[in-house]
Amino acid sequence: MGANKGDEVFINEIKAGNQAAFEAMVLKYQPKLMSSLVGYTKSVDQAEELCQKTFIKVWQKIHSFRGDSALFTWIYRIGINLAKNDFASSFSKHSKVTGSLDQNEHDVPEYVSPEIQLIAAQSEDKIMKFIQTLDSDTKTAFTLREAEGRTYDEIAEILSCPIGTVRSRIFRARQLILEFMTKENIINE
Amino acid sequence: MSKDLEQLSALYDGELSLEEIHEGLKKMNEDPRMKETFHKFGLISELVQRKTQKKSSRVLFLKDHLSKVNPIISNLFTESSRVLFLKDHLSKVNPIISNLFTAAASVLITLIILYQFDDDRFQVNRENSLQLSSAISSEEAKSQLLNADQNIMEHMIHIMQSSDSHTSQKISKNWIPVGFSVSPNNPNQYSNGRNNLFFHLENKQLGIKKVEYFRANNNWIYLIPLQDGRLLTAYGDIPPSVANSMIQSIYKRK
Repeated sequence: MGANKGDEVFINEIKAGNQAAFEAMVLKYQPKLMSSLVGYTKSVDQAEELCQKTFIKVWQKIHSFRGDSALFTWIYRIGINLAKNDFASSFSKHSKVTGSLDQNEHDVPEYVSPEIQLIAAQSEDKIMKFIQTLDSDTKTAFTLREAEGRTYDEIAEILSCPIGTVRSRIFRARQLILEFMTKENIINE
Repeated sequence: MSKDLEQLSALYDGELSLEEIHEGLKKMNEDPRMKETFHKFGLISELVQRKTQKKSSRVLFLKDHLSKVNPIISNLFTESSRVLFLKDHLSKVNPIISNLFTAAASVLITLIILYQFDDDRFQVNRENSLQLSSAISSEEAKSQLLNADQNIMEHMIHIMQSSDSHTSQKISKNWIPVGFSVSPNNPNQYSNGRNNLFFHLENKQLGIKKVEYFRANNNWIYLIPLQDGRLLTAYGDIPPSVANSMIQSIYKRK
């Protein structure tokens, strides 16, 4: 599966040096990458460090991204390879796993790294239960988007409704979930 | 504001025109709250996708299981969202068929709940994993691992980082050393009150013909190739003197 339509635009913008697009990409994928790296390293601190290194490398290497895979798959591979290198180098400087960060290949843009927020395990089920309480139309549109990765076009076709309605329903779901998370003190307002 | 946030949500999904994307990025750049919201969309997305993936794999497991018990019910199970969508759709077309889906979905939901309940006990003891990770960076472990095959190292990373301990196959009770009992929090963890031992069993070939083990401070990782081709990995603060009789017993009793 190649890069999706939305990511393609982001990638082109980043390749053209658009730092706002790069920052948006970091904001979008950081939670997913952090979750994978925490699972891999079992250390939030280490994952955070690797996360930073990964996005630096993404910025440096974005020109080599051909779009053969989804953008996150590519980012994930970079992150996991860095984690493996870290793990291996903790055993020896002469480890069999090779590869290092290509320093100074490109200037790394100044971006404000979002504060690492992880949803506590005990809150996860609360949120999932809350999603189940959303009205059927909102829940279905949101689930088709988030769980199945459907595009708005596809969702509109499946649900036989205009794209604008799909867009509103997905936004409505996100808004309600965020309100719930704030009310439950799962995240700060 | 609400319109801006709706646009932000569509930007997150990559569903805007190039012009709108530029506009959205500009707004985000000017308003830190919009950046924060965009990031929170990412948090929600990560959670839902991770939870759904887990569920889907459970659904596949259940589907597989049910196909042996009742192929008709099994065939009604695809991904849960599709079941719900089809149910909605069918209720408009044929209420009787829709009710069949309701029944199937109810069974599915019940099974998922039971399975989730079980899953709570499948959490790897994070503290122990951390201890092991830290212990394994000792000089002794380094030199041992340097001589180890890359695949073995990958395998050990995989075992230590795996929080999905239900990927392990069921362990024979006969393999558990005398005096050890299962932890109430993790079916793969055993303890005798002083020492902890974790097991992980899977169909994996690492080209190991005999038992290999690695020491890291007070922890050991034992790779035990079984005669049926599976690989049993045992790790914890169990020295070879204790592990030896356990391994002998595994080979004797299978």
